[in-house]
Amino acid sequence: MSLPSKLRAPRRNRAIGRFRAVRRRTAVAAAVSGFAVLVSSCTVANSDSLGGSGTGLRVVLPEEPPTLEPCESSLTSTGVVVRSNITQPLIERNPKSGDLDPLLATGWKRTSDTQWTFTMRDGVDFQDGTAFNARDAAYSIERAVNSDLGCNVDGYVFGEDPLEVEAVDEKTLTVESKEPDPILPLRLSFVEIVPTSTSTAKKVRQPVGTGPYEIGRWDTGLKLRLDRNKRYWGKAPAYENVTYQWRAEGTVRAAMVTSDEADVALKLGPLDGAGDLGVNHPNNETTALRLTGDEPPLDDPRIRRAVNYALDKRGIVKSLFSGLGKPAGQLVPSGVLGHNPGIKPWPHDLKKAKALVNAAKADGVPTGKQILMVGRNELFPRVSETAEVLQEQLTQAGLNIKLKMVDESAHLEYQLRPFVPDAGPVALLIQHGNQAGDAAFTVDQYMKAEGAQSVMGTKRFDRMIAEAGRKSGKARQDAYEELLDQQNSEVTQFAHIAHMTGVIALSPHVSYTPNSATNDEMRLADIRPAG
Amino acid sequence: MSPMAHDRQGAPPTGGDPAAEPIPGQTRVRADEAAPAPPQATGRAAARTSMWRLLLRDRVATVAAGVLVLIASTAVVGPWLVGDLATEQNLDAVNTAPFHSENGWAYILGSDSLGRSMLARLVVATRTTISVAVPAVLISLFIGSVWGMWAGYHRRWRETLSMRIADIILSFPSLLLAVVVLYVFSPSAANIVAILAIARLPIYLRTARAESAELQSRLFVDAARTFGTRSGAVIRRHVLPTVLPTLLTVATADFCFVMLSESSLSFLGIGIQPPDISWGLMTAQGRQYLQTSWWMSIFPGLAIVITTVSASVLAAWFRIATDPAQRWRLSLPRRKRSVRKAGQEVRR
Amino acid sequence: MITFLRRRALTSVIPLAVVVLGVFCLARLTGNPASLYLPLNATDRMRQEFAERNGFDQPVLSQMFDYLGGVLRLDFGESLRTGQAAGGMALDAFPATLQLAGFTMLIAVLGSAVVGSWAALKPNGLADRVCSTMSMVAASVPDFWLAIVGVWIFAVTLGWLPTSGVTGHGIWILPIATLAVRPFGVLVQVVRGAMVSALSSPYVKLARSKGADDYRIVTRHALRNAAAPALTVAGDLTVGLVNGAVVVETIFGWPGIGKLMIDSILQRDFAVLQAAVLLTAVAIFVLNILIDVCYALLDARVRQTVKT
Repeated sequence: MSLPSKLRAPRRNRAIGRFRAVRRRTAVAAAVSGFAVLVSSCTVANSDSLGGSGTGLRVVLPEEPPTLEPCESSLTSTGVVVRSNITQPLIERNPKSGDLDPLLATGWKRTSDTQWTFTMRDGVDFQDGTAFNARDAAYSIERAVNSDLGCNVDGYVFGEDPLEVEAVDEKTLTVESKEPDPILPLRLSFVEIVPTSTSTAKKVRQPVGTGPYEIGRWDTGLKLRLDRNKRYWGKAPAYENVTYQWRAEGTVRAAMVTSDEADVALKLGPLDGAGDLGVNHPNNETTALRLTGDEPPLDDPRIRRAVNYALDKRGIVKSLFSGLGKPAGQLVPSGVLGHNPGIKPWPHDLKKAKALVNAAKADGVPTGKQILMVGRNELFPRVSETAEVLQEQLTQAGLNIKLKMVDESAHLEYQLRPFVPDAGPVALLIQHGNQAGDAAFTVDQYMKAEGAQSVMGTKRFDRMIAEAGRKSGKARQDAYEELLDQQNSEVTQFAHIAHMTGVIALSPHVSYTPNSATNDEMRLADIRPAG
Repeated sequence: MSPMAHDRQGAPPTGGDPAAEPIPGQTRVRADEAAPAPPQATGRAAARTSMWRLLLRDRVATVAAGVLVLIASTAVVGPWLVGDLATEQNLDAVNTAPFHSENGWAYILGSDSLGRSMLARLVVATRTTISVAVPAVLISLFIGSVWGMWAGYHRRWRETLSMRIADIILSFPSLLLAVVVLYVFSPSAANIVAILAIARLPIYLRTARAESAELQSRLFVDAARTFGTRSGAVIRRHVLPTVLPTLLTVATADFCFVMLSESSLSFLGIGIQPPDISWGLMTAQGRQYLQTSWWMSIFPGLAIVITTVSASVLAAWFRIATDPAQRWRLSLPRRKRSVRKAGQEVRR
Repeated sequence: MITFLRRRALTSVIPLAVVVLGVFCLARLTGNPASLYLPLNATDRMRQEFAERNGFDQPVLSQMFDYLGGVLRLDFGESLRTGQAAGGMALDAFPATLQLAGFTMLIAVLGSAVVGSWAALKPNGLADRVCSTMSMVAASVPDFWLAIVGVWIFAVTLGWLPTSGVTGHGIWILPIATLAVRPFGVLVQVVRGAMVSALSSPYVKLARSKGADDYRIVTRHALRNAAAPALTVAGDLTVGLVNGAVVVETIFGWPGIGKLMIDSILQRDFAVLQAAVLLTAVAIFVLNILIDVCYALLDARVRQTVKT
């Protein structure tokens, strides 16, 4: 505005010019602010529609599988999608009967104390077209157990010792273990078979297998679609494709089934609103309190027995688990080899509990010392209320309990060796699932003196455990029954609570009977359209 | 330092998660306060009208203040009055509905999934919630204001450094801080107070700095400096009284956000841990029962809403009451307070 | 303008670095995540291998230098959980949140402009009081509570809307409605306050005396002046939304960066957490700069200072 007046535009024009300038500026301002929004309009919600209605099955899981790597399939969030759907093992365990069924192996026999021989199935092709033979089986086992990949299966099912695997010919495989292992075939049911072209240097996110479904498309974070495998060697499954989605909230999963947005919803709680579409099924989980038996006052067996007497298992199952569950006296439910049907859960007797505590107190045991009860958030539905009830019941017996609810990572520090130093006496609320179907897995973990999750043990008990592990057949069943009985009545490292029952929601268009393995391994081939 | 940030101080910028949000009404639009001139007749009365009388003239603000006083007293004496009722489990009286007096006065608001009295639990939760929200606000208010005033008064590098630190805090994910503090240093209300206080600190820091920076160039401050007054004394005697009303308004409104943040943290499982209870935790825990026992989630949620709305109302009133240019609005007789159209003269 | 932008960008680098390194150290304070990623009966040897593979056995400082070196090469490490590139995971999740935040703020801003102006036309009138009360309530409701009640009422009971997810029509409604309630409440109060001041200024009186009707006055004159503070607050709210959408993302299964962050915190997936935090911090800084630019464009006084 410093030009001399003659050279400046007439006043009216100047005003218009200013007005236009202001308008322009406002437009630019709007554009700039809109820019941030427009620039971000990527195709998040524009991905093609869910599809799969009619010929497809829609499943909603509690969380997205972190990977579909078959050697991690003992992780439930991976296994529920991969196992027996995309890939298959040599042998499969029947969750109802506990028997081992042939899958990619047609037969097997124990050729020596430490060696088993397997016969491969004919006419099986992988999803990439290559033929399956014993070499692939050997490769898969080596990859899962003997390699440096650090597979979850390795630590879960197998021990420290490597396996000697050899593909004698196209149809024969021998597997030799260091120590005699009567349940080697059961262990191998966790190893999913992949072709020799699969990398051993890195884990594979989207594998190739022999299963009835192959990976169609994985929109990470959004959904996962499996398509029917046209090269499948067995009976074709009912659905042409299966779409998996995931929602963290149980109520939302149940709502998806009730409003026909999904056909199957897993891992629900009894109060999630599935209503008539909810189906109960025994999962293989058992809840219990694990007591640190080497810290006073929990080192006195009277206190541990008092804990068992003080818990009102029936009341807890009725009011907190909505009746879904069975009071327990051992860590493995029925259906698992070694389960002792004769064990009775400790009865609820508050008077006896108080008497035991008082007797111990009279003997100088520090019954007033604070016992830390640690629970994990989201361990099972209403876990924090359950923990509060447990605390209340133990307090009534005369013990001093402090409750602490933590997340998974912190809970694992209490649960696994080397435990939390200087934690004092701890009553850890745990839920143990025996996927494998043999009590050996539970006992080795929880009851051996040096077990990864065991806080007490004796040499004698260890010897019994080692002996039982070598047995097979009925002798094995009897040996483990004896072990579990002793654990419950004498050792009492645990105050068992209940064998848990799970809930899933099924759309009326779908016919499926869930079993104890459903949460770890849901076989899509077992699901059919209703009617 | 950006010249822009200076002018944006009226609306403190935010970043971060549920713990960080701006304060409504904090924007000082310095347009002409061309409201009709205060009526001459109440000139002397306006000077003598104390804050109390102003408050009492505004019914809504009085109610809000009353609610807050009730909440505060519940927090203080409630748990003592209620005793063990909050932890007494009664597995026979599980999930009883509210407003049925046959179960006794303790169950007037129903009972939760373990048969404990909702009323008693709400009372005990009040103490936890308030004892998290109030100290968090007070701590961040105190530290933020002192720091901000100091930074704004001295300007230059102190100011720039403080603003950068405020930026850092605002961009820092408080969620992560909450989880780390929770699991490394053990869960306790004190740690959550610390997290919330740190997360909200920049709000006060920026406001105090902006006001202080503006004031330090004004005549009366210059005069004090000329007389050799030390900067600390200048800040205390001149800057603080002027800045205080704004800061208190911000604090009152901030109180709401701290309460909401605490409930969000509890929902995500990284706030107050069971067996302690707070309104946020009760709301989060009750969410699985919305279809069956709705009162378990609705009542604590309502408590949060009522408290935060009261705090907001009080904050809004406070802002007007402490602004001399707008104060006249509150001293008008109620009938005439409604102006038919903004900009028209008030007809006498 | 360019100088200003350049200056701002440069001064933002250090706070960014502090944030990321702060997260780096804090995350490692939570201990070794091995137990989460190894099977329950993993041996010490396996734990040692895990630590070596991921560098957790090194002192924190050397881990930090390795990480910074990687960042300069745009390599943000790999997720412990999925094995994918952490940077890629963060970049995939970000647009979802940005879209959600963007549309939410758009609705909140437009809605509050309309409602706030309408309320301001008659201060302390019935409409104004109703709007003020409701906006205060709206600004005070916990968002997860709203979300769950919303799903319950609209999706389950009434069946009008889908419960969750990102496909199908109508999926936007519940998440955006839930997220928009609080910003809407806050903005209505801001707009109303600013509009009341603007409407009582001389130039508006002048326009009225010339016979302009309400609509013209509001849109042509008052709104522009009220826009500045409202836009600033809106910008701040957007920044808060980018991180604060965690709860809504969790409930509705929206694959955004907030959900990624909380999941990686709970899973101790350090690389993904650091990448997500870095990305969010960069976005926040960019947003702040954008807000300042908008403010300059709208307020001539501020523009003067920018030009210098």
